[in-house]
This record gives sequence, structure tokens and C-alpha cells, in this order.
Amino acid sequence: MTETQSPAKAAVNQPGGRSALRHLLQGERPYMLYVAFAIMLIVFSLASPWFLSIDNFLNIGRQTTLVSIIAVGMTFVIISRQIDLSVASTLALSGMSASLAMAFVANNWVVGAVAGLGTGALIGLINGVLTTRLEIPSFLVTLGTLSGARGLALMVTNTKPVIITNEYYFAIFGEGSVLGIPAPILWTLGVTIAGILLLHYSVYGRRVYAAGGNPTAALYSGVHIKQVTTLAFVLTGTLAGLASLILSARSHAARPDVVQGMELDVIASVILGGCSLFGGRGFVLGTLLGSLIIGTLNNGLVLLGVSSSLQLVIKGAIIVAAVAFTRR
Amino acid sequence: MIEPGSIAPLSEAPLLRVEGVRKRFGGVNALRGVSLEILSGEVHALLGENGAGKSTLIKILSGVHVHDGGSIEIDGKPVSFSSPAQSRDAGVAVVYQDLSLVESLSVADNLLLGREPKTRLGFLKKGQLVAQAEAFLKSQNIPLDARAMVGSLPFAYRQMTEIAKALMGDVRLLILDEPTSALTDDEEKILFEAIRAVAARGVGVIYVTHRLNEVFRISNRVTVFRDGQNAGTFVTAQTNMRQLVGAIVGPDHAVLKTDGAGQSTSSSASTGPSEKPVLELTDISNDRLDGVNLELRGGEIHGLAGLIGSGRTEILQTIFGLRSIQSGEASLDGVSLKDIDPAAAIGLGIALVPEDRHVQGLVLEHSIERNLTLPRLPTFSRLGWLQRGPASEHANAAMRRLAVKAPSASTLVKNLSGGNQQKVVFGKWNEPRPRVLLLDEPTVGVDVGAREEIYGVIRAAAAAGSGVLLVSSDLSELLQLCDRISIVVDGRVTRTIARPDFGSAEDLHHLIQLSQPSEEHAA
Repeated sequence: MTETQSPAKAAVNQPGGRSALRHLLQGERPYMLYVAFAIMLIVFSLASPWFLSIDNFLNIGRQTTLVSIIAVGMTFVIISRQIDLSVASTLALSGMSASLAMAFVANNWVVGAVAGLGTGALIGLINGVLTTRLEIPSFLVTLGTLSGARGLALMVTNTKPVIITNEYYFAIFGEGSVLGIPAPILWTLGVTIAGILLLHYSVYGRRVYAAGGNPTAALYSGVHIKQVTTLAFVLTGTLAGLASLILSARSHAARPDVVQGMELDVIASVILGGCSLFGGRGFVLGTLLGSLIIGTLNNGLVLLGVSSSLQLVIKGAIIVAAVAFTRR
Repeated sequence: MIEPGSIAPLSEAPLLRVEGVRKRFGGVNALRGVSLEILSGEVHALLGENGAGKSTLIKILSGVHVHDGGSIEIDGKPVSFSSPAQSRDAGVAVVYQDLSLVESLSVADNLLLGREPKTRLGFLKKGQLVAQAEAFLKSQNIPLDARAMVGSLPFAYRQMTEIAKALMGDVRLLILDEPTSALTDDEEKILFEAIRAVAARGVGVIYVTHRLNEVFRISNRVTVFRDGQNAGTFVTAQTNMRQLVGAIVGPDHAVLKTDGAGQSTSSSASTGPSEKPVLELTDISNDRLDGVNLELRGGEIHGLAGLIGSGRTEILQTIFGLRSIQSGEASLDGVSLKDIDPAAAIGLGIALVPEDRHVQGLVLEHSIERNLTLPRLPTFSRLGWLQRGPASEHANAAMRRLAVKAPSASTLVKNLSGGNQQKVVFGKWNEPRPRVLLLDEPTVGVDVGAREEIYGVIRAAAAAGSGVLLVSSDLSELLQLCDRISIVVDGRVTRTIARPDFGSAEDLHHLIQLSQPSEEHAA
């Protein structure tokens, strides 16, 4: 059975080329996604006079920030053959923790940041440890933390929002800008670049691919799969924490009931971006693109005056169609 | 045991006649005019290296591909299948290497999958289903329990279920594509009896294999393909191993290979392993082992012979830290191996080439380079960042040294042939030289040419001072390679024999409690 596929097919499979370039455009990656994105941009530009403007693109960037940042972490989780459903709840609890720390410990942005990121990391750690040590499927573990973290977030203030008053905090995570680029977009870029370096250029990244591509072979090669997987959850949790800082800095308050259901947008972005739910395949830039596609779709449909209920239906259909189209 | 050749009276008109069949895939000439004749009631072995054209012909016969030229006749009528369904209707059934059974269902469920007896409302008639399956198994003389869960069956019986499933309906020609890759001798015997029973009912059987020993045990005739052409058809009883190997590898390197192999055996035996043990196991016990004592010297190739399930694989897994040690002492160069995990084992210089390269050895969807560098990523990195230069240099060097046939190190492993995949698994551990190299069935599913190359790699590792522990069900392989052989029975080593006292494969068979004689190795 192996013989017909030996020389001919193998020769076709790999075009040559520089490795960095190949990383951007590798054969396994869904070219169609780029095409779909381009078509979408053209359609919206023609349909709405407000779509094609720098202000609107910054708008899209700001609106997709939360999803884009968390989706980078989710890329690691999904490549290692796991899933994290708890990210939206983690975000909510991390935001509460950051704002309460600034309200009751010290009104210092560092205190808030450490509390928010730390809470996210801790929930990630819990997800990772329960998944790898107790060998409970991550779908169930994170379904549990989805509920638990949201409940805690609602409990701590009895569902009331917490006001934030720290100006540095607003500037760094929400309202500041460098060369006209708003802080949330800078954070997105920073996280994306860090994600690319970590996934594609570090030893850890290779191990994530191996752990998801074939866990048994990875184990037999001396990869500590449990550590690798746990770290992917911690990374995702921490990024959910970062997203909570950005959201609360923008609204000058942390609310326990924010972004319910956002985990679905995050997962959709990752899958749309070319990750395999079966593990071992995916890339960070694709995830960013996936998130931008969903964000642009939301934005464009609003500008076209499509009702919000119909928006949901269209979004769902396009996600399924895009994934179906980019798979074989 | 029934003598091959007396299996069934062979009728003279061929059941299947393949003549001058050609097939091209793009620029590759997969078949350049092959011929094959199968009589009803015969078991006809089909041999050849990977790429020789066996699988292509089978895919043509099963309707997956359409041939470009030549003719195929069944019962004298010309046929050309454009779909598997057509081939099936003409009475051709194929059993592939990869089993296609639902493990969580019973044998009966699997046999009648998709055509279950049901009531008018669509409810399953469970009793009738089992009865129908049992009646069928009985009529075919296949010793299977229709109620048994497929997932709980030993491999031979799963394979048999697969064959039974293929035989449902009116089958004239049964094609078996390497059915025994993972079987012990016992299991193989059970399977062979089932195949003979099928042939005895007048079905023609094409038996594709890489294992030459099997050819002598099961087949009436043998056809060898090489480079998409016929390299000879032989009556099994009138040929021998040497002639078949010659036909398979061709005139260019057949003689050279076998001579070279012989020489290096004698030279490695003359330099001999050092006296100092690298690895020592004393009374090692855990859930699968029961007081294993074993000593491995540097430069030694040490065989572990035994049945599947006897604990051979588990000994390797325990040394590699995949199984914990409950009692006893294990040490490598004096360092205790208690409480180690695979990463620590690798750090100490232990390497494992596992039994199932697809599941345990390789990440199939990843490139050769990624697979080769996986066990030693830290050596190719600075502060956690991968150094692409050294990593790809390492991969390219390993590919050259092991003669991995692939366009480049970025070729995906899933696109390689079995032999080349196995070379990649070896490449993971070849450099730097491990202190201890653990090999679990290293040549299963590997063609003859690549097998000799892998033997060369194993000998080179031992010559460089590594201690090699080799698990193999192929006794002639053990006899050919090893300095010493330990017999493993029920989780313990019952005997260790040194090369001068080896005797024949037959003696070994008896030692691992097999009554089956193995005529073709003796000499």
C-alpha cells in the first residue's frame, strides 16, 4: 500500500524555497482563506462607503483585539490536541481580580496587571493539571471551569461592576497610542509576534506540534507531554488575563458578566485560520487572519445595516462554509 | 501441518489472467507490462520491494485504478473495473494491511455491517444476526466466535474477521495485502490454516508479503515483481530463499548485499563485544515482568526471543522508563534506572526504536527534519530558541548516513515508504551514539533491500560500542545479527545463549515453546 505513493508523490509535495517564506505560505495552509478575506474586503468596500477607511480598520482592529489575543493561546492548545472552553469566563474573573486588587490592595497599574494575568494563569494551570494529571478530557475540564470561573466572578461583588480609576492603567491597556496606533492593537501585534516566535521558532513550539501530532511518538521521544500541554493552557489563561486588562481599561470598569460566549469566536478563529482540531497542525498568523475575518464580517454587516439576529445566522453560515472550503 | 503443494487439486484453466498490464502515474511507470496467472484453489504469493508494482496491480484488480494497457481476464472473460463495486461484483475481494473493522462491535456485527437483518420498523434482529454470522463462519471453516468483541481479539483473529468479511458474498479471488505484518508464529499458523481452508474451497488467493519465510509455508506458487515488471514465477516447492531474494533485488546488488552482510557478521563477531556490561537488570519485576535478569555488554547485539505477550517489549519499555520498576535493580554504567522517565532515559543515552513506527515512532504529518530532531531538541537550541541551521544540518547528515530516499528533509514522513520511515526512526537515535539501543521489531513491514540496510545500521551501532537489545519475532533475523540471544517466557528470561551454541532456528523455536518446525532456516 505504500508503494504507489513513494517517489512521485513525495517529490510533488515539497516545493523548495526559503524556510521563512515557506512558513508564511506553506502548502498545508489554506490559501483559500486569504482569497476569501480579500473577496470579503472588496465586497464590503463596494457595498458600504464607510468601510474603506483607516478609522474603520482601526475600529475592526480594536473590536477583534480580545478574540485575537486569546486565539493566539488557543492555537497552542488546539495544536496540542486539546480545547479550552473557559476563556471567556477566565477573562471575566481576571478582570474582577485586577480591578479589585487596584481598589483594595494598591491603586497601581502593576498590581492590577499582576492580579489579572496571575488569575488567568492560575485558571490555565488548573485546566492543564486536571487535564493531564487526572486525564479528564479538556473539553469537560474547561466546561467545568467555564461555569466555575464565571460563577466566582459574579459572586465576588454580588454581580456588581468594579470601577477603575488608574490613569496609567487606562493608558497602557486601553486608551494610549503610539504613532497613532491604539494600545489594544499594539498589544495584539505584540502577542501575535511573540506567539509566532514561540510556536514556530522555539523548542517548546516544536514540542507542542509533536504532542498534538502524535502523543505516543512524542512520549517515546522523551517529550514531557503533560508539561507541554499544561503550559499551553497556562499561556491561554494568561492571555485571557491580558484581554481582561484591555477590556476593563477601555471601559474604566470590570464587569463580571462580560463577553459571554466569546470562546466560540476564539475557537472559530483558530479553526478558520487553519488549525486542525485533531492536533499537530496550525499557525499563529492564520489564527490572526481567522479572527480578522470574523471581525471584519461583524463590522461589515453592521455597516450594511443587517439586523443583529441575521448577522448571527450569516456569520455561522460563513464560518462553516469557510472551514468546509479550506479542508479537502 | 499440511505440506504446501498438496493443499488442493489445482484446476488447469486459470481463474485470473493478467497479461501485459501497464499503468502510469504522471511521470512514473508503476507497471510496465506485468503478467500474472492465478488458478482456482491455489495460494499465489506476490513478492517485490516497495515500488515494485504489487500494490498498483492490486489496486487495479480491486477497481481503485484503471489500467492503461494490457488485458485482465476472469474465467476467460476480459474485465476492466472502473469502481471497487464492479470488482466486488466480479468476485474479487481484498483484505488490506490496515484493518477496517469497528473495534467496539462484535464479529457478527462487523460481518453484517450495513446489511443487518432488521424488522419492518428498522429494529435490529440481534438473534438472527448472530445466527447468520455463525452459520457463515461455520460454512467457511473459520474458527471465530461471532459474539466476540473485535477490539478484544488478538491480531490474528481480527485479521481473520477481516478475511471472513471479505469472503461474504460470492468470492472467486481473495487478495491479502501483507496480512501477517504484526503476527506471532502461533497467530500466523492459525491464520494460515484459515487461508488454506478458503483456498481448498476453490477460491484463488493472492498473498502479498515482504516475509519470505511465509512464502514457503503458505504458497503453491510465487510471482516476483521488480520495477513494474515480472522478475519470475516459481513453483514454491522447487525454489529456495536465495533464488527469491535474487529475483526481488535484481542482478545489480543481490550478490553483493548478501556477501556484504555475511562479512560484517563475521567481522563484528571477531572484534566481539567488550566484557564489561553497560546495562544490568537484576530481578526486575513490575506488572508485566517477573524477575528479569539480563546483562548487556557494550558493542553487543543481544536478542530477545519469545512470543508476543511474553514480556519482550515490556523489558524494553521498562528500561526506557515507560513502565515503572516495582522491585529489583536496573543500572546503566552503574547509574540506577529506578524512577526514570523517557526524557531521563534519553539523557542517560538510552534510545528506543519502538514496535509500531506509525503510532510510537513517528509524527507522520510532520517533516523528516522535525521527526529526526524531536528527541534532542535542546541540542539544537540556544536559550529555548531553535537554531534552524544546526537542526537541518543534523537532519541532512542523518538522511545521508542512512540513505533515506526522499527529495529533502522537509518531505513529510507519511509520504515515505515503510523502509525509509523506519530509517528515519533509526535516525532519531543514531547521532550521538546511544549507550544502549533498544530495538523492537525493527524490520517489520520493511522490504528486503531496506532490511539489509537496517541490519547494516544495527551492526554499525554495535561496532561503535553501543549495546543493542533486539526484540524480533523473525528468528532468522536474530540468528543472523545477535552475539547472544535471551529467551523470554512469561515475563522472565529463561535462558541466554551465546553465538557458538546457537543451533538452528528450529532449536530456537522449541526454546520459545513453539512446536512448529521451521524447515527453511535449517542448514
